[in-house]
Amino acid sequence: MAVPKRKMSRSNTRARRSQWKASVPTLVKTVENGRVTYSLPHQAKVVTDSAGTELFLEYKGRKVADV
Amino acid sequence: MPAPAKGPRLGGGPAHERLMLNNLAAALFEHKRITTTVTKAKRLRPVAERLITFAKRGDLASRRRVQAAISARTNTNKGIIHELFTEIAPQLAERNGGYTRITKIGNRKGDNAPMAVIELVLEPVSPKQAVVREAEKAAAKAAPAEAPAEAEETPAAGAPAEETQAEAPAEEAAAEEKAEKADDAK
Repeated sequence: MAVPKRKMSRSNTRARRSQWKASVPTLVKTVENGRVTYSLPHQAKVVTDSAGTELFLEYKGRKVADV
Repeated sequence: MPAPAKGPRLGGGPAHERLMLNNLAAALFEHKRITTTVTKAKRLRPVAERLITFAKRGDLASRRRVQAAISARTNTNKGIIHELFTEIAPQLAERNGGYTRITKIGNRKGDNAPMAVIELVLEPVSPKQAVVREAEKAAAKAAPAEAPAEAEETPAAGAPAEETQAEAPAEEAAAEEKAEKADDAK
C-alpha cells in the first residue's frame, strides 16, 4: 500500500480545503397568486395541497411523476 | 439520423451502452414513461425515436430491425414489439418526430444524480386540428343541406377569439348535426 513519506503541512491542507466552494444556483422568479416564488428553471415542481402535503410533480401544467 | 454521442460511452463500453439503451427503450415502450438519469434519458431519446420510426413504417423488414435491437437474444420482449407496432405506432402516426418528452425532476437522493422522466408523447398532435378534421368529415356527411343561418345563430360559447377561423366550420357542422338530431326527434 502506498504510504505518504512526509507530513502534509497545515498550510497545504488548508489551501486544498479552501478550494471547495459552494455555488449559488440560478433561480427563476415567478409570481403565483400574488406571492413571489423562486424555483430552479426547467425542472418539475412539487404540487402541494393546502395542508402542505406533497402530491405530485408538475411541469408546464402536466403531471410528471409521483413524489 | 441521430447525431453520434459525444464523450465516453455509458456503462463499460460501446456494447454495454448499446445493450443499456436498447433495454431502456424496451422499458419505455412497455411502460410509456420511465424515470432515469438525465444523461441516460438524453442518450435514449434518439435510439427510441428511431425504433418508433421503424414501427411507423410497419413492414416486416423494419419489424426485424426493431426485433434485432430490443429482443435479439431472447424472445422475452416480443410482446413489447407487438405493442409498439400495433398500439404505439398508430397513435404517433400524425406526429413528425419528437415522439418522446424529457422532464427533469431534480436530483436523486443517495448519489445526487440529476434525474429525468422520459415518456412517449401519445397525445394528439393538435387537438384543434383533430376537431377540424372531424368536423370536415361530419360536414361532408351532412351534405350542403340545412340552413346555415340557423347554425350561425348558436352562440360560440367557450371558444376563444383566436380560434375563430379554424373553429367556424367545426361549429357550423356541429350545429347542423344538432339541428338534424332535433328534427329527427320531432
